[in-house]
Amino acid sequence: MSAPDPSPMTIPSQPSQARVHPIVAGATIPGDWYPGRVPENVVAGSGSVVDSTFCFKHYYATGAAAGLRTGVDVTLWRTSIAPDRDAVIEIGDGSYIANASLVASERITIGARCLIAGGVTIADADFHPLEPAARLADSIALSPAGDRTSRPPMDIRPVVIEDDVWIGWNATILKGVRVGAGAIVEPGSVVTRDVAAGSRVSGNPARPVSP
Amino acid sequence: MSPSWDLHVSNVLADGDGHRVAHDWFPGRLPSNVILGRDVYIDTTYGFTTFASEQQPGLVLGDATGAYDRASFVVGPRGRVTVGAYTVLNGIYIVCQERVEIGSHALLAWGAVITDSWCAGDVPGAATIEARRAVLRAAAAHPDRQLPALDVPRPVTIGDNVWVGFDAVIMPGVTLGRGCVVASKCVVTEDVPPYAVIAGSPPRIVRMLEADDTPAARQAAFARYGRA
Repeated sequence: MSAPDPSPMTIPSQPSQARVHPIVAGATIPGDWYPGRVPENVVAGSGSVVDSTFCFKHYYATGAAAGLRTGVDVTLWRTSIAPDRDAVIEIGDGSYIANASLVASERITIGARCLIAGGVTIADADFHPLEPAARLADSIALSPAGDRTSRPPMDIRPVVIEDDVWIGWNATILKGVRVGAGAIVEPGSVVTRDVAAGSRVSGNPARPVSP
Repeated sequence: MSPSWDLHVSNVLADGDGHRVAHDWFPGRLPSNVILGRDVYIDTTYGFTTFASEQQPGLVLGDATGAYDRASFVVGPRGRVTVGAYTVLNGIYIVCQERVEIGSHALLAWGAVITDSWCAGDVPGAATIEARRAVLRAAAAHPDRQLPALDVPRPVTIGDNVWVGFDAVIMPGVTLGRGCVVASKCVVTEDVPPYAVIAGSPPRIVRMLEADDTPAARQAAFARYGRA
């Protein structure tokens, strides 16, 4: 291969390409690679941006209430915003979510100034019942011939991520968890229990580590 | 400016104003400070939307290295990534603020993250709430919402013939020794010796491999596939 040129070179101008766009309810995004729209019932604060409407591919909230509500200056980049029919995902001011999946059956609340890194999944349910007979029924309800509105009951427990929380790559936050303000969830953690404010957790299942 | 790389059998097309990738579904271009060896394959320029390196070069992919399945290069202005020859970058995520070096014949699987920057507790001040808020304020003020380094970057080095399983995370400052194997989902925070196999949470050495990847073995492998 050709050796890197050690002499100084000027960097040719790149074609300017806005990588993020304001979140406007009901709108398309100019130059979007994905032929979608921002859902009508999204409520986004000023300065909140998204890279593509692909982020809303699994947005199933169809009610009058907002399925996604953001504060100001929120960044959503390659992130799956997936609220179910009546679910709500709330994201506070200045939070930055990069390449994560937020999957809500009822409610996921993310505070202000949170950083959520790539490969993270936050889910407020298991999305299927545990008992074998109920799962069998669920598979029929979910089938192309089934009725998605009459699925068997399942365990749903909202997730709360408080302000100033950072969540590292490939971590998983499971149903019912509250991550306290200022906590750090180390990459790869699987969080099944509440995390104390200001603490740092790691591992599967996630346990406190010294900062 | 003429292309700074040697185009051979590759799917990268020179087109005067940046470079495109053949049959790309994403309407992007490769950054101009990327140097490619012969026979390099890149499946899409989607992996370069967050490539902001201002270094020359900012990324080097050696001969016959492939970037598959939206392998993504999240590289800051001061970041430089070099990858050797015959390496498989399969749907990985390289986050580089300063330096990530990957050897030849490495096999890196989907969802794996290689990063030289995280909010380490051992860097004074890096993990304080105020430092973290400053990072997010800077990102919000940037037109592309580029995130600055999360703390002082510590270079990552991945040796030749290393195998990293899916969803593993290689953390700042780590060196993976030649021929080692990192099992899926490992979060690697310490150096891994050559030819070790690590697995679990936290990862532990579960086996040592024989160092049989000799120059003769490499030559025989090339001969077998007609690349001698």
